[in-house]
Amino acid sequence: MDFTLSEERKMLQETVGKFFNSNYKNIDKRSENVNLPEGYSKEFWKESSDLGVISALVSPKFGGLGGSGEDISIIFELVGKSLCVEPFLSSAVLSSTVLSSISNPRNDLITDIIEGNLLISFAHCEMNNRYEDHYIETNAYLKNDEWNINGTKSFVMNGDDASKIIVSARINGDVNDRDGIGLFLVDNDQTLKRPYNTIDGYRSTELTFKDLKGELLAKDENALKCIIKANSAGALALSAEALGIMQICFDLTLDYLKTRKQFGKSIGAFQSIQHRMVDMMLEIEQVKSAVMLASSTFETDDLTRDKNISAAKNLVGRVGKLIAEETIQLHGGIAMTWEYSAAHYAKRLIMIDHLMGDSDYHRDRFKLLSNF
Amino acid sequence: MVIKMNFEYSKKDENFRKEVKDWLDETLPKSLSEKVKKYQRLTKEDYEIFMNNLTAKGWLAWHWPKKHGGTGWNAIEKHIFEEEIIKASAPRIVPFGVNMLGPVLIEFGTEEQKNYYLPRILSNEDWWAQGYSEPGAGSDLASLKTTAVDKGDHYLVNGQKTWTTLGHHADKIFCLVKTDLNAKPQLGISFLLIDMDTPGVEVKPIITLDGEHEVNEVWFTNVKVPKKNIVGKENEGWTYAKYLLTFERTGIAGVPYSKSALNHLKMISKRSLKNGKPLIEDPIFSSEIAELEIDLLAMEIFNLRTVSAAAEGKAPGMESSLLKIKGTLVRQKTTELLRKALGPQALPYLPEQFDEGWNEMPVGPSYAGPIAKQYFNMRKISIYGGSNEIQKNIVAKASFGL
Repeated sequence: MDFTLSEERKMLQETVGKFFNSNYKNIDKRSENVNLPEGYSKEFWKESSDLGVISALVSPKFGGLGGSGEDISIIFELVGKSLCVEPFLSSAVLSSTVLSSISNPRNDLITDIIEGNLLISFAHCEMNNRYEDHYIETNAYLKNDEWNINGTKSFVMNGDDASKIIVSARINGDVNDRDGIGLFLVDNDQTLKRPYNTIDGYRSTELTFKDLKGELLAKDENALKCIIKANSAGALALSAEALGIMQICFDLTLDYLKTRKQFGKSIGAFQSIQHRMVDMMLEIEQVKSAVMLASSTFETDDLTRDKNISAAKNLVGRVGKLIAEETIQLHGGIAMTWEYSAAHYAKRLIMIDHLMGDSDYHRDRFKLLSNF
Repeated sequence: MVIKMNFEYSKKDENFRKEVKDWLDETLPKSLSEKVKKYQRLTKEDYEIFMNNLTAKGWLAWHWPKKHGGTGWNAIEKHIFEEEIIKASAPRIVPFGVNMLGPVLIEFGTEEQKNYYLPRILSNEDWWAQGYSEPGAGSDLASLKTTAVDKGDHYLVNGQKTWTTLGHHADKIFCLVKTDLNAKPQLGISFLLIDMDTPGVEVKPIITLDGEHEVNEVWFTNVKVPKKNIVGKENEGWTYAKYLLTFERTGIAGVPYSKSALNHLKMISKRSLKNGKPLIEDPIFSSEIAELEIDLLAMEIFNLRTVSAAAEGKAPGMESSLLKIKGTLVRQKTTELLRKALGPQALPYLPEQFDEGWNEMPVGPSYAGPIAKQYFNMRKISIYGGSNEIQKNIVAKASFGL
């Protein structure tokens, strides 16, 4: 067995880490990016592309330089440590996963994404589909050999700034059927957009389509397979992001416990507090292990991939709550303030459990995939 | 000896409840309770409307004895009153003057102080703030650093207070200050009344993690405070501070808040869909709600046992600390399940929706907007008023004989 990273990946980790740190120096710098018109820094996005960060998220088969589970985890752990708000998840993971998993992969579009010239968002979530892969109300019909799409997609990450959107829509059947789903590529200039920021500082959008013309990318079994793979890749990326955040939360808390004095000694000197830190440390090791396992089986069969990703994302949901709440509680009032970075890490950590399946969803999926 | 326990309120108590409820129905403006229900930002005037109504009714000083203009209610009546105002979605009674300082002045103030300050509290003329916590002294209040040096006819105050709730509205602040720098912690502390208009007092906002401004820093730079503004004896402020904290503890379990949050949770769980079916039909999620309700049910009885004992004159001891711990955990659990019930609908955050008169379409169902914000905001309740860790220290030290 070997649990160490290869030399190339260590280098990737080091280079990208330095690059993120030099741009995301502190929480004020992040707030600046959040408050830009697009909700992120286009400049930083372009520089990330130039440095090969986006390319590292895509397999060489489709023009990238990475794209393995380990690559995704390395990059997203660093995304978490810096709380980057750029479209790494929406465009570089979700959309490129769909575009590379369809029967006729669209290397042209993937190349544009990698080069930082094209932003594509994946619009699958709806107000009522919670975290489901197949529950879809948005519909598509064929008229004069053209696909027309009607409906509203919710929580579309970076859905305001993207020039193209990949939309899941129902071609036939009932909203809850696993068959009859299609994936379409549409131009975003004809959609009705309602952008907003999420409570943890990320740009999201409601997108409404009215008889919007779309290009069919995949349908039926292939479409559902692509949606599941994209959502699984997203859940893996978010799990790694959460791991990065947890490590920062732990370090900030430990620092504070050494500095802050109460009753004449540092708070960290109290055993009851030390035990809580040990609990946190232990659970972070568990998450790290689950993320490593999920990363290593990302390219195996779908069942193993999804089972291990569900295990990781379920654990991330549960441990994330522990770490976020303990980080605030052990700091006391200071971690309730906007000015201090711990509050922002805690918010993101909690809200990760509201994206691509929460701990309950992934527990249920784990049970299903394990034939309980 | 009690043979059979009675869990019911007396006829007299029920009549009192009806009186409070009817009065609220009649006098609380609908626009104001709507704002509270929607978690919209309350202005200084919003608080004052409700508190002036209470003044007119003679119910503002609900912790004071009758002879000073209070209600003279017993613990059960206070409990009923508090339950009804929360149920009616009234703004909270800003506690600093009427619930905190008032009782201290009544017990320890000079006649001159009582005659001057108490009527001004009763009429809402003065808005008080609490100057206890400091950057290095929160739950361990005794290690405070703000100093007041005796300069003959006045004290010269220097230092910084923090977490001053609604301090940006305040005219006056009561502070714990160090008057004997050589004394051990808890000794050498005095209780001082300071006018916020005095030169050298500066209020700076603290923005909390939900982007809101409710708490402040208050800075004192060479602030001259007349000697007559000291309450009680010099260097004995700790005694008064502890006395005041017992008043902060009433209703500490927050049972009525958790009850209304639980109802809200059930409503949302019926409307939220999981696989096209109401979330409340999910056996695991509904079990979580059931266990929360069981915790709350037991806690309500625990709380009533304490209230009932207090009505008979038994001062609550460890119960206050235990109820604070359990009460905050239950309340935080309701906010957690609420956000979980929403799923991705908890993500959108429109800060402008908390402004008065906001009339646009929300993103998602109208109840979704405040839920995540409320979850994060409620992290504070296990920190303030003596953190849960400190409550555990108090209980362990006083109860176990270890």
